[in-house]
Amino acid sequence: MTKIKENQDSWQSGMAKNITFIVTKDCQLACKYCYLVGKNVKERMPWEVAKTFVDYVLDHETDPDFAYESVVWDFIGGEPFLEIELIDKICDYIKTELFRRNHHWFNSYRFSFSTNGINYHEKAVQDFIKKNRDHLSIGITIDGTEKKHDMNRVWKQPVADDNGLTKPSERGSYKDVVKNIPLWLEQFPGGGTKVTISSADIPYITESVLHLYSLGIHEVNINVVFEDVWQEGDDLKFEEQLMQLADAIIDGGYYQDYACSFFSEHIGKPMDPERDNQNWCGAGKMLSVDAAGNLYPCTRFAQYSLRDKEAWIIGNIKDGIDKNRLRPFLTLDRTTQSPQKCIECEVASGCAWCQGENFDAAQTHTVFERATAICLMHKARVRANNYYWNKLYRKLELEDLREQYEANKRKVKPEIC
Amino acid sequence: MLQYLVILLDDTSAAYCHADNPLKERNLMPIETLKKGILFGMKQNLMIQYVFPDYGTRDYELPKEYAEVIESIDNVKIYPAGCKPVTGIEDGNETDVEVTNEVPEKVEAKNLLLRLPFSKMLKQKDEIAKLFASGVRINLCITDVEQFTDGQIEAYKQLLEEWNGVLLGLYKQGLSPQFNLLTDRMMLKEMHNCEAGVSNITLAPNGKFYLCPAFYYDERMKVFNQLNHHQPSSDNSVGDLERGLDIPNPQLLRLDHAPLCRNCDAYQCRRCLWLNRKLTWDINTPSHQQCVMAHIERNASRSLLNDNRKVGEFMPEIDIKEINYVDPFEVRKEF
Repeated sequence: MTKIKENQDSWQSGMAKNITFIVTKDCQLACKYCYLVGKNVKERMPWEVAKTFVDYVLDHETDPDFAYESVVWDFIGGEPFLEIELIDKICDYIKTELFRRNHHWFNSYRFSFSTNGINYHEKAVQDFIKKNRDHLSIGITIDGTEKKHDMNRVWKQPVADDNGLTKPSERGSYKDVVKNIPLWLEQFPGGGTKVTISSADIPYITESVLHLYSLGIHEVNINVVFEDVWQEGDDLKFEEQLMQLADAIIDGGYYQDYACSFFSEHIGKPMDPERDNQNWCGAGKMLSVDAAGNLYPCTRFAQYSLRDKEAWIIGNIKDGIDKNRLRPFLTLDRTTQSPQKCIECEVASGCAWCQGENFDAAQTHTVFERATAICLMHKARVRANNYYWNKLYRKLELEDLREQYEANKRKVKPEIC
Repeated sequence: MLQYLVILLDDTSAAYCHADNPLKERNLMPIETLKKGILFGMKQNLMIQYVFPDYGTRDYELPKEYAEVIESIDNVKIYPAGCKPVTGIEDGNETDVEVTNEVPEKVEAKNLLLRLPFSKMLKQKDEIAKLFASGVRINLCITDVEQFTDGQIEAYKQLLEEWNGVLLGLYKQGLSPQFNLLTDRMMLKEMHNCEAGVSNITLAPNGKFYLCPAFYYDERMKVFNQLNHHQPSSDNSVGDLERGLDIPNPQLLRLDHAPLCRNCDAYQCRRCLWLNRKLTWDINTPSHQQCVMAHIERNASRSLLNDNRKVGEFMPEIDIKEINYVDPFEVRKEF
């Protein structure tokens, strides 16, 4: 039976509450494209904050904001595994409390990590993985070839500045990460990686995706940065790269076993202003906590993620959530925040946005102003995507496999950030 | 479309809405600014609404040259009770508004704007009810909306029910009382809100424009506007007399860009953008408190409308549907 591998939905997508611990704002790396502009060595989550937060969440089991079938406990940084001992203690406490309270999440929870992979092999991390294997999702970020990876994903300078802020060095991290990929894939065979594309990375897209496939990574989730970093002509270079990638995937037959999120049948269509009016992102439905015990609608609204705006704090672990400050997030829809050009766009579907970047880039204090810095890049992606599917379908038709594919293809849910 | 220009003649100009005016120092708008403001209003075809200072003295007189300039154009005067401005045109306008923070025994203007905190409104409900028969339009503005809790919902419902009884008695006598919280909704077929920045704009004594006076007070009191954490700023202005109006994200002030409000039929709600920004942090999103209070008023208006119809034909073209919520946020998924 012929198949085309597609990117997988996240665990219990749409049915799980995402709860995020910002356990540290420190990281071994200082990636040049990182949106976390305020990474520092000072803000590490104390155990008491984590425990109080878990208690707060579990005390509100019947609150509509927590009435989800399942829960994903996300741990992010900085680099979360820098705080593996704290994380281990938090996860033990969560499991114990879920059991003690007979909470409905006891049999429906995940611990989720996005890591730079540098200390993945260390004993403390490995012990944690063994202990929680059946409830874990771990993604390691590797950006492609050594050259592409090391262009952005560099070690930080050993000494932070007076404010504890970290600066990039010239030392790339590829070798330190790639050595842990086989172990990770052995433990998480379906593991996907996240690749981020900024202006300077465009020429390396094709070779990077193919390189990741060659490492045994079958799922490459890739996106262009939402920030306004794009240069004139980047869209055409991007289109050219994606067409090269399309040729390589189709001619090499990779489409059967490997997925690259750039190519999707569901993008590049006009969208109905009423029927297709949902928000892209889950900000506001998620809940994040930082080391100070402040709560956020998503980590992107914490101060270390924001260039210009004040953090959008929705409460704290002692006083709880100020629901008024959540109301804008929970009433967001596509058309209200979009400029007219997006509403009328002929290739609107699949054009993403990040609520945090929208807020940071907005002229006023609002989450209702959509940033459109990726407009030309999305249109370039759509053109290359159309090329990909036209070419692939023609190939399937010539091989008499098209009908089989149509009959077996997976239904895709709307993507949520 | 912009229709009104509110001119704050002084920093102490009377607060006439939800926000108190914390500015106590006199700072009269320079006469040249006033002239330019009037010229702006004339050229934009705007009705001028002057907000007069609260100097705490009766019938004060502005400097003669101000009186002349003020009366150089048709206008509405908003002034503090007991401080009726003397400008040489004594009769006043039918639409002039007297503002007070105390329930008055008698009202001089045709329109009274009564600003009270919720608890005081409850305490003085009978004195307030007596005003309904005065023939004066009564606008009651609650000054501590942000303090309103769900525990006070029943008390507010009960209060409005009591006032409905008084109003119904007046209707039966053939009178037409006007009380914003209860009678406005019965007359409305569409939203009729504050519309700051959409139908009206405020000119402050510093020659700058603001969405409404509250944004000027915040700027003067250095209430941080949360826009930039690198350079904390309290600047709230949306243009000035030299550059003209420059409202960022003007679409977010409009009803069609307010997801909750555009689906709502509490048409009498003030839909206060300043309260929105203060409580939900987004200018197009109302707080739970604002929605709940507006819906209690809406439902009480429905009840008054129905009671009136038991007596005879009353506003047959108005239909206020029965609903089972007091905050449209609760039913947002059904929109």
